[in-house]
Amino acid sequence: MTELTLDHVVIAVQDLDAATRDYGALFGREPSWRGEHPAYGTRNALFRIDNTYVELLALSGRSGDPRWSSELARFLDAHGEGLYALALGTPDVDATARAMRETGIAVVDPTDGEGIDESTGARRSWRNATVPVKATNGARLFFITHLSSADALPPAPVTATGGSHVKRMDHAVVLSADMEAARRVWRDQLGARLALDRTFPERNTRILFFRLGDITIEISGGAEQSKEGMGKPDRMWGLAWGVDNLQATCERLSAAGIDVSGPRAGIKPGTLVASAKGPATHGVATLLIEHAPESFRPESRVAHGQAYDNSEGTRAFIATALDHIVVSTSDLEATARKWSEILALYASDTHKPDGTGFRLAKLPAGNAFIELIEPLTADHRIAQTMAERGQGLYSISVRVDNLDAAVADLRAKGVPVSDAEPGVWPGTRIARIPKSAANGVSVQLISD
Amino acid sequence: MIKKVHHVGIVVRDMEQAMRFYRDTLGLSVHKLEAIPEQGVSAALLTLGDSEIELLQPVQPDTGVARYLDRKGEGLHHICFEVDDVQGDLDTLKSRGIEMIDQTPRVGLAGRICFLHPNAMDGALIELCQPIDGPEPARAPEPAR
Repeated sequence: MTELTLDHVVIAVQDLDAATRDYGALFGREPSWRGEHPAYGTRNALFRIDNTYVELLALSGRSGDPRWSSELARFLDAHGEGLYALALGTPDVDATARAMRETGIAVVDPTDGEGIDESTGARRSWRNATVPVKATNGARLFFITHLSSADALPPAPVTATGGSHVKRMDHAVVLSADMEAARRVWRDQLGARLALDRTFPERNTRILFFRLGDITIEISGGAEQSKEGMGKPDRMWGLAWGVDNLQATCERLSAAGIDVSGPRAGIKPGTLVASAKGPATHGVATLLIEHAPESFRPESRVAHGQAYDNSEGTRAFIATALDHIVVSTSDLEATARKWSEILALYASDTHKPDGTGFRLAKLPAGNAFIELIEPLTADHRIAQTMAERGQGLYSISVRVDNLDAAVADLRAKGVPVSDAEPGVWPGTRIARIPKSAANGVSVQLISD
Repeated sequence: MIKKVHHVGIVVRDMEQAMRFYRDTLGLSVHKLEAIPEQGVSAALLTLGDSEIELLQPVQPDTGVARYLDRKGEGLHHICFEVDDVQGDLDTLKSRGIEMIDQTPRVGLAGRICFLHPNAMDGALIELCQPIDGPEPARAPEPAR
């Protein structure tokens, strides 16, 4: 089956002019197109961004094909403004319609469509095939093949500065009460690639990520399938837009009078997010997102500092201090002598814990201490690491306020941490995180 | 001369992936992100009590950190100790014949810094730093090892 793309998304609006102004402000761009569908009885404004385009769709007041005008009128009556449809791109809509029918999706026969730009008179044409919402468990989808060339719809001119405009769509969110049905539709029938199926028991959430090109369709529902939810239609919920500089975007939107909260750390690691709310979003749950690797820029530091602040909020445990650093050596006395002669860090304690196969020296260094360790047998894990990487820095020990809570929390997050056990230093308890889980660093958690 | 452990440096292959553990799983706050394209590294400083974890990701080949990553893989790279007088300590160490990477202090992420040669400390790479108050000056790269 041909891989589908997210050709565009459709937002149903009452007042097209107001919505065009609002989305122009939200995106920091002028529309690419403002026009009419004479045959559909609808008007639209389009914003082409890097990886898709956005269609604001309103009734024109003229009569047209009821598959569009009556359906849109019904939606606006029932739900008000909001995310209306996802248009799935395919190079051959007729072939796709046939293929979809074989999977059980009752696609309507494809028809040709045309739009006219109201200021330039330019025309764009396509062929599309709608799908009854019953066939897709509630998500309104249609398939589209453009007959006009791609440059018939130019990129929406950027008006905002400093990386504060919307560049691309990151993901679309669909809420589902019947996750298994949604999974069947998107994976088995539409053939979208299922990139993630994860359940977060503590948040009573399950999410499915399907990829359409570089855009993710996020299906979000409860951790457990409820009986009442089975067969309930999915709800098109929200859109997430990618920006280069979220801090600048938030400042720009606030100045434009759009209600925006953030930046804050996104649930997806490495992201900063902010939500836009209020009438300017026209009923679409709206998230702005910046991916951190592109944002290692001086002007983002303040935003990152705030957004990545983990000190507040409810956490299962808190890492309170660097307790000590373990340094391996094949000759404890010789290495301890170097540390004292060169760095003036002196062993305050030496120790050979019973049954451990190593000797230790503790070198206090202000806020933490250095633990020199000499394995006494060649098969000791520390000796093996020394054989591979040489002697030197071996591991770090991180003090936590509640070791048992930390172990439980890390395990819930999928980290293979060991059971808590007595540490080598009297009065301590420790648990180990293998270096495979911590970027090559053996991390020990420690508490009294 | 040594006041405290200023930070522990960890070389990582993928900053975003490392953040998943150190920031999201361990819950450390990121207080500084730095890209130093001309030096080929990205760095993140995460607060751990009154010390720090420094994550270093080489973003260009042929830098000290990139070579370290190629040779040894991800892992602990160095310990940085804070001192009062990095110039004085460097002079003292040199006069005693201690092998140094830096012959004069330079400006790094942690302030005015110098690195001892790992041979001097039986394989442990040690950095000394003297933090600089006020606006941050231009930076020099982390050393080859």
